[in-house]
Amino acid sequence: MLRADAVSFGYGDSGFLLSDASVAIAPGSLTGLLGPNGCGKTTLLKLMSGVLRPRSGRVVLGERPLTMLTRRELARHVAVVPQETHPAFEYSVTEMVLMGRHPHLGPFQLEGPADFEVARAALEATGTAHLAARNYMTLSGGEKQRVIIASALTQATEILLLDEPTASLDLGYQLDIAGLLARLNRERGVTMVLATHDLNLAASLCNYLVVMRAGRILAQGATGDVLTSAMVRKLYDVDADVQFHQRAGHLTVVPVGRLP
Amino acid sequence: MAARQKKLIAIVAALCASLAWPASGQTARRIVSLVPNVTEMLFAVGAGPQVVGVSTYDDFPPETKALPRVGALLDPDTERIFSLRPDLVIVYGSQGELESQFARAGIRVYAYRHAGVGNVMQTIRDVARLAGRTADGDRVVRELTSQLDAVRMRVRGRPRPRTMLVIGRDAGALRGVYVSGGVGFLHDLLDVAGGDDLFADITRESVQPSSETMIVRAPEVIIELRPGDQPAAAALQRERGVWNLLASVPAVRNNRVHLLYGDYLLSAGPRLGRAAETLARVLHPDAFPVADAAGPRR
Amino acid sequence: MMPGVAATRGGEGAVHLRLATIVAGYGALALATCLLAPLVGSTHISLARAFDRSIPFADNVDAQIFFVARMPRVLTGALVGAALAAAGVVMQALLRNPLATPFTLGVSTGAALGAILVITFSATVSVGVFSPVPLASLGGALVASAIVYALATRPGRAMSTMVLLLAGVTLNAFFSALILFVQFLADFTQTYRTVRWLMGDLDVGTFGPIVASLPLVLPAFAMFAVLPRSLNLLSVGADSASTRGVDVGRTQRLAFLSASLATGAAVSLAGPIGFVGIVVPHLVRLMVGVDHRVVLPASALFGAAFLVGCDLVARTVLAPVEVPVGVVTAMLGGPFFLWLLVRKS
Repeated sequence: MLRADAVSFGYGDSGFLLSDASVAIAPGSLTGLLGPNGCGKTTLLKLMSGVLRPRSGRVVLGERPLTMLTRRELARHVAVVPQETHPAFEYSVTEMVLMGRHPHLGPFQLEGPADFEVARAALEATGTAHLAARNYMTLSGGEKQRVIIASALTQATEILLLDEPTASLDLGYQLDIAGLLARLNRERGVTMVLATHDLNLAASLCNYLVVMRAGRILAQGATGDVLTSAMVRKLYDVDADVQFHQRAGHLTVVPVGRLP
Repeated sequence: MAARQKKLIAIVAALCASLAWPASGQTARRIVSLVPNVTEMLFAVGAGPQVVGVSTYDDFPPETKALPRVGALLDPDTERIFSLRPDLVIVYGSQGELESQFARAGIRVYAYRHAGVGNVMQTIRDVARLAGRTADGDRVVRELTSQLDAVRMRVRGRPRPRTMLVIGRDAGALRGVYVSGGVGFLHDLLDVAGGDDLFADITRESVQPSSETMIVRAPEVIIELRPGDQPAAAALQRERGVWNLLASVPAVRNNRVHLLYGDYLLSAGPRLGRAAETLARVLHPDAFPVADAAGPRR
Repeated sequence: MMPGVAATRGGEGAVHLRLATIVAGYGALALATCLLAPLVGSTHISLARAFDRSIPFADNVDAQIFFVARMPRVLTGALVGAALAAAGVVMQALLRNPLATPFTLGVSTGAALGAILVITFSATVSVGVFSPVPLASLGGALVASAIVYALATRPGRAMSTMVLLLAGVTLNAFFSALILFVQFLADFTQTYRTVRWLMGDLDVGTFGPIVASLPLVLPAFAMFAVLPRSLNLLSVGADSASTRGVDVGRTQRLAFLSASLATGAAVSLAGPIGFVGIVVPHLVRLMVGVDHRVVLPASALFGAAFLVGCDLVARTVLAPVEVPVGVVTAMLGGPFFLWLLVRKS
């Protein structure tokens, strides 16, 4: 469905942030882009959302390369939840969420009842309906992130790309978001690609992992196959136990010590 | 007190006096002038040869063009001035710091302040005295006074039209209009020439009236004073035509809008007499019979 | 704080109605101000006499005051006020900063340089109905905009707001230095006239300059009309706007061009009148929320009323002396703005 074919990217002469990366995202999958800071996972995500143009290689949606699609068309298929959102003005939660309707509206068209319905449903799905009239800037970190996810949902796309969705959140909110994403994937069949450095989040949520370091893909495959102690050692120089946790119901990574 | 002690005291006193007032009573032999109209006054009283430096804007009389330039109000070149070794520097009244600088160096300073015709005459006398040309100074003042009196006599008893004396505006448009107010030498000139200043009630040297103000005050004569030479007929016509915007104003309706060109019209110095006569000829043309059509004396 | 166009409970059907009501309300305010302002001034005029056709126009002083002295002035004030306020809104969205003004990117400094060059070197070049100072200030404004645009534009990519801001600040500083230098070379009267121009002046006298500015102002407003929703998305972030389907580069170019045209036209017509471009958008946002689809038209209309009102004060408060309108906007706008900020925090 969404595929990156040997894409490379870099700014000017300062070397490549991403080299020769190829990933195929299967419909309905929950894929994690995993790796330390600077490994190129955010760059890959931006290439897949069309925000950046690859220096070489191409990204394809269905059968069409992204360069053949207008921003509007692409926005109807792929939505992005960025790591941080800082609006310059004090929009209300409803106004923020309705922004996701932009690719579905004509140039001078105002939101209609259908659009408000989609927004309302998205707020309900993310548990933020009670915040609808609030000023976005006054919300907590977890609430803000859920609102941004809601606005991505109003875009009504098959694919959702998320950049470090739980990075700045408290433990409770991390679990909330993880549960929300799992549910959305399960109930609505939304294909998701998640860039994260949180090994346990990736382990709990994703069924497919793409492991990256220094701008290259080290390995990719089913989570159980890719996420091993050897891989953690290779990525982080850390000795860790990777085990299936009975109560949690998924693999967990427990770091034990630093390796020289 | 012993005679020798008295003599000592006298010598010390004389030394002190000569140090404290270095140029007191002495003629200034090397004069630098930052004020163009005062330079003109110096030349008029015959002190031209004593002038060693002039401002950037000096151009009258022609002799000044050959003299070294030392800057002006905003950018006086103090180094250059010092290098000319002056014993008198003419500065603007607002250049206080400059004054102190020269005073510290023991150089005499004359601070010129802009005001009415009376002030012009006083300045002529002051600088003439400083340059050791007191008699010439009195002569120039007498000549100027008689010129002005002559003009007054010519127009005496005639009705005085309400006149707007414009001293600046944007090119090609009726915006940024500057006119003479109720004080200053231009106001005085108008008075001598037999006109009533439209803004006599505003006690400032210049006023910026809006279109509304000009329409309401309805001047009977509009005179624009402009430096430099008169342009070609087409350009002149175009600039005059700008005033047609104020159609209800008597000056426009009766075709009494005059654009006068000449540096002497805006110079607060010895040429004021000529300026007054030019203004009077425009305000009261019938007071100057054909025989005098040769124009004002230089 | 009121929500924008998008109200929530029960408001869905009323979205169109709310937008229409707000715009109509501000429109009525602007219209009323423009109709009343010519009637008020330092001289009392009789409206009946002004419109009395039986008196020849050239003899009718009341008509002269109304149609020559006041009407063009009020129309200029409305046009300039609308242009500056709208440009301010667009600039604030483009630069993602509520403190941006129409003058942030150097347009007015360029215009000032153009004007001061003409005033100091006594140029008399006229092109048809355009007189030298407005012509030169427009030229200066356009040159400044072109330089900033060239510095900030990156082919195929969105403009970086950081680079845009830095380019504008640098240009402002550089042109300001040039202006000081030219002033240094100028004489008394020229400096005086420059300073007077910088304080703003709406007294155009004829409809000519207003009509002449339309080829700039109308396209600018046409661009303003299509920008609002994109500006909403852009002000949340360039990347997130892009992923929501906004052509960010095109939106930025349109915003920059329209704001520059509107500001350039306003400044060449009336000089750089400050505070309108920052106070009006903020006041309007406090009243109607932050949705640009409401804020942009409301600001344009309120800006027109605001500047006409300030000019009214300028020409009556110390009659017969006229205070320059830029001084009035600063004295009214500044403290009011401070009060609003204090109240909010």
